[in-house]
Amino acid sequence: MNNEGHKVIVAKDLEDLIPIFIGNRHKEVEALRAALAAADFEQLRMLGHRMKGVGNSYGFERISVFGKQVEDGARSGDRAGIEICIAEYRDYLSRVQISYE
Amino acid sequence: MNERAFAGRQAPAQAAFRVLVVDDDPDMAMLLSRVLVKEGMVVDTVYDGDAALVHAMSSAPDLILLDVMLPGLGGFDICERLKADDVTALIPIILVTALEDTQSRVRGIEAGADDFLSKPVKVEELIARVKTLRRLHDTRRELEARRLAAEVQRKETIRKAFSRYISPRLAERIISDLGDDGLPFQSHAQRISVVALFADLRGFTRLTETIKVDKVVAMLNEYFAVITEAAFRNDGTIFSMAGDCLLVGFNVPFPQPDAAVRAWRTAQDMIASFAPVLAGWTQGGGTPTGVGIGIASGEAIIGNIGSPHHMSYTIIGDAVNTAARLMQMARAGELLVSGAVYDSIRGLVPSSSVASRGNVALRGKTEATPVYAIELASVRAR
Repeated sequence: MNNEGHKVIVAKDLEDLIPIFIGNRHKEVEALRAALAAADFEQLRMLGHRMKGVGNSYGFERISVFGKQVEDGARSGDRAGIEICIAEYRDYLSRVQISYE
Repeated sequence: MNERAFAGRQAPAQAAFRVLVVDDDPDMAMLLSRVLVKEGMVVDTVYDGDAALVHAMSSAPDLILLDVMLPGLGGFDICERLKADDVTALIPIILVTALEDTQSRVRGIEAGADDFLSKPVKVEELIARVKTLRRLHDTRRELEARRLAAEVQRKETIRKAFSRYISPRLAERIISDLGDDGLPFQSHAQRISVVALFADLRGFTRLTETIKVDKVVAMLNEYFAVITEAAFRNDGTIFSMAGDCLLVGFNVPFPQPDAAVRAWRTAQDMIASFAPVLAGWTQGGGTPTGVGIGIASGEAIIGNIGSPHHMSYTIIGDAVNTAARLMQMARAGELLVSGAVYDSIRGLVPSSSVASRGNVALRGKTEATPVYAIELASVRAR
């Protein structure tokens, strides 16, 4: 994935909220991994649903995309697909570049 | 609309618009709150369904942004409960949901949601939807304020109009008792103890045969003006005015432990107030006349009597009939009272002005009634 895919522009008004938001996303990755390890697909579905809703609300479109993938994967029991998605989500969070306008 | 919910939120026109944000995701709740606060709104946030229901019912916010998937009660259930409660039914609710299927939208509509907002939330859309519902809310509030003002005005108009025909106190009572169908005292028909006073302009019927019609009306208006004022001054309730005859009730519809005394004072007041009017008529060449009055006490029925098209709030019963018979017997300037009434006012009446008529067989009554005649002109002269 090139760097362009990791650039996010966030409204200046929300700047002070972003550190909390990103911190919660890292916690979310751990929650996803725990749910996957436990094969708790209902929990995975709920986490994916929440990611889908909150991600692009803050301007993080990719998080919403990851969320939908997790939600769909949980519904179909696609454990391998979810595992890949979680890995990509984790990588995305480590690389994302945020600017404020 | 719900009179209680609205009444609890009577506020100046510029009062802050209060929004309740319900979302179990703190990041989403924070985002929604931040946007709305920037728009000048006051925001409360709760994170589960049960707390949302309690908060909404206790604080009645102006608008609710409600997530669908919540711990505890879900958004649909909360929406249904709030819309089913009179206190909260008119609070606009926007369901905020990442559910995309038609079935979920239909479920939301059935639950009574006023609008939907899709997650991920677009800030511009959020603001536009909230502002639209706020405009509706403000319009609804303004219309309700106007309705209340119009209602107050209507009652004031009725009160002023009624007060020309009945005592101001009775007018107030009727207005405060008006039901949705506009009929007063529907549930107040009852048998109570009353003191009834009948006043009549003696000889006036014959007088009307010799003078012009417009003169008759002018004279009657003069007469009724002074004797109704006398009744009002003593808190009597005027129940009917027919020809030159007036029926005034005491201890009805408001309790008056001193009802007989009030009736006695009213009779004195009527004679005294009418004296200057009578003097004017006599000087103008009119035939001498005067007021004859009868007072009796006893049980009577009070209530709305008549048909759906014409109804009178009036009293009927033995006390009323007896007072009417006494009035018919009274000469000009004379008051005839029943024995029970006289017993109640005995200490107030100069003995030299009173004459017992003994037990009188009044028309329509099986038993004779003790009657006392009081010369009111002589009482007044003292």
